[in-house]
Amino acid sequence: MTDISPEMWAKLPAQDKATPVPPPAPTYGQEVRRRLWANKPAVVSIVFIVLLVIAAFFGPYLSPHTYYKQDLKLANIPPVFETYAVTDGAGETTRFFLNASNFNLYEVDAEGNMLGLLRGGRKDIIKKSQPYEFGDQTLTLDYSKLPARLILEDGREVRPSGWSWNMTYLFGTDQLGRDILVRQLYGAQISLTVAFVATLVNFFIGVFYGGIAGYMGGKVDAVMMRFVEIISTIPLTLYVVLLMVVFDSGLLSIIIAIGSVFWVDMARIVRGQILSLKSQDYVAAARTMGASPARILTRHLLPNSIGPIIVTLTMLIPSAIFIESFMSFIGLGVTPPLASWGSLTSEAVETLRAYPHQLFFPAAAISLTMFAFNFLGDGLRDALDPRLSR
Amino acid sequence: MYSYILHRLGMMALTLFAIITLTFFLMHAVPGGPFVSERMLSPEIAAALNAKYGLDLPIWQQYLNYLVRILSFDLGPSFKYPGVSINSMISAGLPVTLQTGLLAVICVVALGVPLGVIAALNRNRWPDTTVMFIATLGVAIPSYVIATISIYVFALRLGWVPTFGLDDWRGYFLPVFALSGFWISFVSRLTRSSLLETLDQDYMTTARAKGLRKGQILFKHGLRNSLLPVVTVLGPVVANLITGSFVIEQIFALPGIGRQFVLSITNRDYTAIMGITIFYAAVLMVMILIVDLLYVWLDPRIKLTKAAA
Repeated sequence: MTDISPEMWAKLPAQDKATPVPPPAPTYGQEVRRRLWANKPAVVSIVFIVLLVIAAFFGPYLSPHTYYKQDLKLANIPPVFETYAVTDGAGETTRFFLNASNFNLYEVDAEGNMLGLLRGGRKDIIKKSQPYEFGDQTLTLDYSKLPARLILEDGREVRPSGWSWNMTYLFGTDQLGRDILVRQLYGAQISLTVAFVATLVNFFIGVFYGGIAGYMGGKVDAVMMRFVEIISTIPLTLYVVLLMVVFDSGLLSIIIAIGSVFWVDMARIVRGQILSLKSQDYVAAARTMGASPARILTRHLLPNSIGPIIVTLTMLIPSAIFIESFMSFIGLGVTPPLASWGSLTSEAVETLRAYPHQLFFPAAAISLTMFAFNFLGDGLRDALDPRLSR
Repeated sequence: MYSYILHRLGMMALTLFAIITLTFFLMHAVPGGPFVSERMLSPEIAAALNAKYGLDLPIWQQYLNYLVRILSFDLGPSFKYPGVSINSMISAGLPVTLQTGLLAVICVVALGVPLGVIAALNRNRWPDTTVMFIATLGVAIPSYVIATISIYVFALRLGWVPTFGLDDWRGYFLPVFALSGFWISFVSRLTRSSLLETLDQDYMTTARAKGLRKGQILFKHGLRNSLLPVVTVLGPVVANLITGSFVIEQIFALPGIGRQFVLSITNRDYTAIMGITIFYAAVLMVMILIVDLLYVWLDPRIKLTKAAA
């Protein structure tokens, strides 16, 4: 017990006595970001929207096709097809596919690039058949019974050799032979532009109107809100329809029409926020220090109601996209050859029976985009105001 | 109660007046007259047409005439179809629109509420996730996409229902489904969250502690309290069914008012556009008033005063 080694008696180095300082409490912004990043659907939506915007604004430049160039010889080409191959006596192999809805044969190469429409011989309308010459071989397209069959001279039937993706027109072409992918991207560009610009316009009008109504209160508020009540009695879509009838249809008018109508929701939200905030002490403090109403509004009240404003904003975007496509669907939106998701869908409906793929792409695009904005809006609401989440 | 209704009726009159004024001046702001798009008319014929429809009068007089006509429930003649009045257009389309709309509202209530209840009672289990997944789909997909895709699948591919028209009773399925799809989803989400909130309340615990039967707890205490928000959206539901019907009636070729409206738009039949808009506004305001009165009847806590309006 006595053998304590001498180094045990040595003085210990001075230790840090300070109690550990807790890390600074995360700011509101950091909290919001953390909660938003923790929300998987919202993050996926953000990624999707960013990719969509990039594709919509830069994608068309990468394509050899334009949204307006028509090629009636290559109309209604599907995005995937079954290729057939015929070898003539000289050993030349021709690959082609059959468009089962218009009974045309299109030549393709082994990779699936379109080479063009094959010209056949005289159509026999009564027997419903058409001969095609491949060197010394003659192939007869017989569509008297469906599905159509391809028969060689010796009576053998040519069988498809497998599915292949259309490498020239990735999404196929529409009824005027325009590339659907490029039209789709242009449509996205139009739809997104309309949505963003109209939402921005709504945002400014709504914040201005709601802010003034909420801050002034009393008679001014009552009159201004009565006006909003009168406007929102009938569906806002009806006003957009009426405005579009007055303006000529086109990109600018649809932006104006949507932008000048949908601010009423924003005005309501902002007014409610401002009404509840303006009795706070810091507003009274700012007022006693002589801040002007404009300054109180822009520096104190609006920044503190930013959460609900942002949520309303994100929810306005999908409804603007929807209204725009709705207008284009009933023929009041953008003018052809410009495309938007709504007009693409309504064009596709005309050929729905024969070429359903034309419907699939715009329908999927708009649905996915609506999803993304809805999820983002939900995520933002949960992140900005955790009390509201459920 | 009566003073409240009177006050509301006064507001309705004011709103309707504002909408009539707005549509009148909007339609007159359209560049060119209503006959411009047709083939070149000789000046005499144009003058005769203008005189026939009172378009040669100063605009305030036209406006007054229009107001007086509307007060006698006459929406005037169509500019595109000679001899057809807007009233007859509306009365021809009304039964179709009313039928599909009513069926859609019934679907919204009869499907949306039970689905929401099922989801709330099975919180975070598979019935909940399934219902919520479908409801999320239904809220995000536009009605015209639902309509066209369901035509392709159920009418063209499977052949279960006709592609258009209402000659067959099965023809009602797709239009009603497409019209109500969004609102079924919306109402089921709303019912779910509202019922979940109600289930947390103290009075629900009390009801359970008293040993009430499950059904009694759910229907008498739970649902009655959680359905209030659902009743409030019924007003907007009607409004949306009206605008939804533009596209749905167009797609399914139903001869309703919505299709008539879209046709008037493409034909630039200004009096028809004006008349149908005013008709819509009037119908909607009556609907919203009914919903508000229903709300008070369901929730005795709400007092009908002028301040509440």
